[in-house]
Amino acid sequence: MASGAVAATRGQGAVRRSGRLSVILEPWIYLSPALVLLALVMFVPLIVGFTYAFQDIRLLSPFSRGWVSTEHFETLLFSDRVFRTALVNTAWWTFGSVALQFFLGLGLALLLNRAFLGKRFVQAVVFLPWAVPTFLSGLTFAWLLNPVIGPIPHWLFALGILEEPYNILGNPSIAMWGPIIANVWFGIPFFAITLLAAMQAIPNEMYESAAIDGASAWQRFAHVTLPYIAPMIAITVLLRTIWISNFADLIIVMTNGGPANATQILPSYIFTTAYRKLDFGYASAVAMVLLLLLFVYAILLHQLRKTFRSTA
Amino acid sequence: MRRMIFGTAALVALATAATAGQAAAQTTLQLVEVITSPQRTEHLETMIDAFEAANPEVTVEVTSLPWGQAFEKLATMVQAGQVPDVVEMPDRWLSLYANNNRLVNLERYIADWPEAQNLTQAALDFGSVIPGEIHEIPYGFYLRAMFWNKKLFEEAGIDGPPETMAEFMETSKTISELPGKSGYCLRGGPGATNGYIMWALNFLGENRYFDEEGNSTLDSPDAVEGFKFITELYQNGYAPRDSVNWGFNEIVAGFYSGTCAMLDQDPDALIAIAERMPEEDFAVAPMPIGPKGKSFPTIGYAGWAMFEEAQDKDAAWKLIQHLSSPEMNLEWSKFVGVIPIYQGAEQDPFFQKPQFEGWFTELEGEAWEPTSMPTYLEEFGYFADVLSIQSGQEALLGQRTPEDVAGEWAAYLTDAYQKWQAAQ
Repeated sequence: MASGAVAATRGQGAVRRSGRLSVILEPWIYLSPALVLLALVMFVPLIVGFTYAFQDIRLLSPFSRGWVSTEHFETLLFSDRVFRTALVNTAWWTFGSVALQFFLGLGLALLLNRAFLGKRFVQAVVFLPWAVPTFLSGLTFAWLLNPVIGPIPHWLFALGILEEPYNILGNPSIAMWGPIIANVWFGIPFFAITLLAAMQAIPNEMYESAAIDGASAWQRFAHVTLPYIAPMIAITVLLRTIWISNFADLIIVMTNGGPANATQILPSYIFTTAYRKLDFGYASAVAMVLLLLLFVYAILLHQLRKTFRSTA
Repeated sequence: MRRMIFGTAALVALATAATAGQAAAQTTLQLVEVITSPQRTEHLETMIDAFEAANPEVTVEVTSLPWGQAFEKLATMVQAGQVPDVVEMPDRWLSLYANNNRLVNLERYIADWPEAQNLTQAALDFGSVIPGEIHEIPYGFYLRAMFWNKKLFEEAGIDGPPETMAEFMETSKTISELPGKSGYCLRGGPGATNGYIMWALNFLGENRYFDEEGNSTLDSPDAVEGFKFITELYQNGYAPRDSVNWGFNEIVAGFYSGTCAMLDQDPDALIAIAERMPEEDFAVAPMPIGPKGKSFPTIGYAGWAMFEEAQDKDAAWKLIQHLSSPEMNLEWSKFVGVIPIYQGAEQDPFFQKPQFEGWFTELEGEAWEPTSMPTYLEEFGYFADVLSIQSGQEALLGQRTPEDVAGEWAAYLTDAYQKWQAAQ
């Protein structure tokens, strides 16, 4: 009888324990398809890419395969002229594009964040560039900048910015502005959409009470709008920076990295190395460097956000 | 690695071929075209309709790849086991596929083909990248000749196209003195390679890319003179400033808009130019002759090839034979803008027009020797698409000396050539 009761409680305990285990496991089981998928599509290629970076994988020399230790990275850092140019260009391309996109996008969001006649229509039109395929916008801008066919060089000449109406894509010292202009045109809507959404979530009472306290328009912007949309700004700027530094489409279409590598950025360099030179080992090494840089950048920004939040 | 991928691809293809073969007696041929435009596809399809009407048991499915991504796409298709039966094969990929035993040696089919004896020698020669084997039937040749704008020449007071390299420089200079005009429509962007090679060979005076030891001739002092010629022409402003980045569309637009007065191009540019310029305003002259009395316009081609995976090789050959027949070839050449592959094609009224004179002079004249760039080197694709463009631009812009750039090119091509020789 007594032993039976003990056995029963033991049994109950076991049930409870296994119950607890299944409670812990349950969400993971539900998640497992997603996790497996994630591992397959993200971690496997990442690891394969990582191992490629230390191997000699040139499709045109199938017999010279093998591990080359850090040879690719040594070449990259110490003797690859194009890599260095591409690194500097990537920074220029990314920060030029993000900064212009952000400030113009913020301005656009502020303009749209008020009631006026035909607002819906204007909103729809303004967001159009985001829907245009990059390939098409790249080609369009390339032709707009061509003095034989496009108007832009003639306008710039008339404004005295250019000494003669020539194609800026052909001048290595300013060629990068071509893809940057196209990218800004393409990317403003993204910032405008996201920042506008954040602004519309700000309770109106905030502005009302600020107005009652006698806040000027600038003060209302700086002390009400900005703090509210700051988290959105941080996340969009982080995302866009990573996207843009990885975004070679416009450059490939407009200049293909030229003239003389003046618009070569790391992703376009990776693309050319992998798919034109068919040297996957070296391309992976460059890709790893880009990955590392973006990783460091993401961590820095994350830390920055944390410090801001703790001081706020 | 590639062997392995190709191997598995072959297995997959065989497996699918086996099941497909059982399913129907009706043969379906897959044809991939790689230099695509809507009108061109339409035209190709009318040629195929004629084939299908004559061979009701065969259906042909056409896949069109846009040229810009065609190399990657075709390679992906082949690696994934979706191997077409017949493919439009441009010269520069022929070696890659032929040397990896991907293409059928057409020799034995050609032996039984009566029309083959009327093919020009060039057509037979250029279809072969491995001695004794023929891996494609070219459908025509892209040969460089010099378009010149008669009106601009008249304005500048020059009566005819330049015959020598020295006259070419002089003419470019004189025309560039006209306000807003330039002499030469230089191509410094995609496709610039042909120009560099032609100027180098014209000064070298020989149709030779490698010497007996297998070293590239491009960095020999004479060849470097050719690179210097073109960098000087650009740096002196005899070509539009933007032309450092110009590709096909830009040079053609530059020419027909009258921005620049001379353009070296293949016959396919004639189509775009004739649409926008009255016939009496321009003509096509043979390429200028170098200081050693010779000129080497580049010749390029594409043609029809058959993949080893083709299950019904006889049907695939019939299709190639149809597309390469004299009538089809003539029609196709006119449409696409290439020089046909049959002897006597220049007698056709279409090719009798004065605009074609330049090309046929080059083909017949003693001083001109059409040159085929070493596209049989597997590494040549990267040289043509990337290396020669980027470092060529550096030379044009004066960031590097022509000697320096020529040295880099020669080293790259020498390595590639020696690898190729070792594999022979």
